Amino acid sequence: MISGALLLLILPLAMAGIVYILLRWLSTLAAWLAVGTALALGFAAVTLPLDQPVQAWGGRQIAMGEAVTFLGREMVFEPSDRMAMAFLFFSSAGLFLLAWRFAPRSLFFPIGLGLLSLLCGMLLIRPLIYAALFLEMAAALSVFALQAEGRSPTRGGLRYLTFTTLALPGVLITHWLLERYAVTPDETELLGSASILLAISFALLLGAVPFHTWVTAVAGDSLPLAGTFVLTVGNGAVWFLLLDFLETYPWLSSHPIFSPLLSGVGVAMIIVGALLAPAQRRLGTLMGYAALVDSGAALVALGLNSRLGVSLVLLSLSVRPFGLALLAAGLSGLRGRVGGGDVMTNDMRGMGWQTPWSTVALVFGALSIAGLPVSAGFVWRWALCRALAPSSLGTALFLLLAGVSVMVGVWRSLSSLLMRPRSPEDRSVVTLAPSEGWLTAAVVIVAAAASVGVGLFPQVIAPLADSLAGTYTFFIP
Amino acid sequence: MPTLLDLLKSVSFLAAMPAVAGLLITAGILVVSRDWRLNVIALTVQYFFVVLLLTRQIRLEVAAVKGLIGWLICMVFYLTERRASALEQPAEPEDAAPQRWRRWMLSARSSFHLLAVILIAVAAYTAALRIPLPETEVPRDITLACYLMAGLGVLLIGISEAPMQVGLGLLTFLSGFDLFYVALEPSLAVAGLLGAVSFLIALAAAYLRTAQAVPAAGEEGAS
Repeated sequence: MISGALLLLILPLAMAGIVYILLRWLSTLAAWLAVGTALALGFAAVTLPLDQPVQAWGGRQIAMGEAVTFLGREMVFEPSDRMAMAFLFFSSAGLFLLAWRFAPRSLFFPIGLGLLSLLCGMLLIRPLIYAALFLEMAAALSVFALQAEGRSPTRGGLRYLTFTTLALPGVLITHWLLERYAVTPDETELLGSASILLAISFALLLGAVPFHTWVTAVAGDSLPLAGTFVLTVGNGAVWFLLLDFLETYPWLSSHPIFSPLLSGVGVAMIIVGALLAPAQRRLGTLMGYAALVDSGAALVALGLNSRLGVSLVLLSLSVRPFGLALLAAGLSGLRGRVGGGDVMTNDMRGMGWQTPWSTVALVFGALSIAGLPVSAGFVWRWALCRALAPSSLGTALFLLLAGVSVMVGVWRSLSSLLMRPRSPEDRSVVTLAPSEGWLTAAVVIVAAAASVGVGLFPQVIAPLADSLAGTYTFFIP
Repeated sequence: MPTLLDLLKSVSFLAAMPAVAGLLITAGILVVSRDWRLNVIALTVQYFFVVLLLTRQIRLEVAAVKGLIGWLICMVFYLTERRASALEQPAEPEDAAPQRWRRWMLSARSSFHLLAVILIAVAAYTAALRIPLPETEVPRDITLACYLMAGLGVLLIGISEAPMQVGLGLLTFLSGFDLFYVALEPSLAVAGLLGAVSFLIALAAAYLRTAQAVPAAGEEGAS
């Protein structure tokens, strides 16, 4: 009998090896294997029953809910992990699909599968301290995917690794402090120390202001789709870890400064992102500040300390990949034309006519990450603004303005992208440059349609986030 | 023939303040020096002193395995830097002999870094006195070693964006934390996972260092 936890841990790792071997000669097959593995595991996590084994190949049985021991520690796939796993695998499948067209021979496919294995291990292992070690290993491994081939070393990868390493001691020591508190409940100062350490560690991991420099660096100078993987799948796993911590230690969320602290940090992130995004002359860095605004808004949602707040956080995690993945795909296409580096606004004059599908991806991605209407990002931003309006109108206004501010930055780039090239006779011409190919067009259309579809029919995804929020009980009812 | 464990036992008299002094000197060299050969040697010796201090807190065999992981990391760094410098450096000119001496002179940058090392050492000493780690688990001299290595590791990370310097800083920081954490959580699983973390950090730094060297070599080839 094969345990479900073991399957989620071993299969991506095994497929990573196969994909790495195939990548050199059969890059399309390698990409589709990565997409297929992620999709299959996502469906397995969502559909297979946890309480009874399922017949698999060769008379073997898969018991998804069976616990497995790894290095003497228990790993078990619980009902509350279903949606987290679905998020990890389906988001990764989407990113692999876009990478098939926009970063076909990159190490992103095998490393991405390896990262999925580590992130699954992080969410399934108990006690939680081991999760921090798995996350650290994932951060070190992600450096290989973030580094674009033939480019100078990525600052983003190094900074991400540095901030994750600096966060590690806090998480590990917190666990020891809380164990000690369980033995000596009189020493209440242990709780204070644990809260401070945990707050600093998660601020580092989530890229909260003033520890946000890794977010913009990862978005700015790394392989865009790998950077998006870190900012959506990796960051999402950190969010689930934070929710697990809050569920395991409910006194954390009942602390009087919990809500003001989260809201304050969230608003700071929104303000910093909103002020700096329109000033950026590089599209990658602009993407980083847009992601910062989105993370800040999610922190504000968690600061509501209610089921609605947790639902909105989970909804934000579900829709963030739509915006960032499309934006990263567009960025990859544009970078491909200018030779690989981060794209400056001035370098893009008229490029929209040569790379129409990359431009389309960029526009739809920007709409979603800015939280503007008819996009996936709008669904949760608007719901958050409505939730905030009665109690905190100022924060709701900041959030709306931040979306506009991100869009102003994108608009500047777009005006340069769509500038018509001029002929020597000073007339406006559009050259018949080589097309990006119908496959690229199809992939971009599917991704953009999915983003618009979620924006128009949020009832598809919102109930899932709400039902997952129901499995967490730490918030004040 | 004496085994590694016999060798460690025979130098166990160093596993107190001499080892802490050794850690200060080796971590200081990592901060001040930009010569990769010197840095690799300093890191190797640093892992030796870390192992000596670890022998007071965990079983000798586990400490020895941690040391072996550290020395394997040094080997990775040595091979990477050797390859990278071969890719980067043009043939040495004949009148390079006087320049060799220049590398041993203390530049303004090195003087500044040395001053920073001294400041961190003073801060670590004060922290060890004022904010002692739980004395039932961690002795006073090891507390000082933890603060020193964590502080100098963060300094190394902060003063450079070169992959190897950052990698050395992260490993120094992790070694300092490891010295403290083994006393709290002596399980083999944690020791193994922390070893894997260190090794992956070293591989990531080495990969980025190679990426740094290859475009430089490509540009030289093109010109």
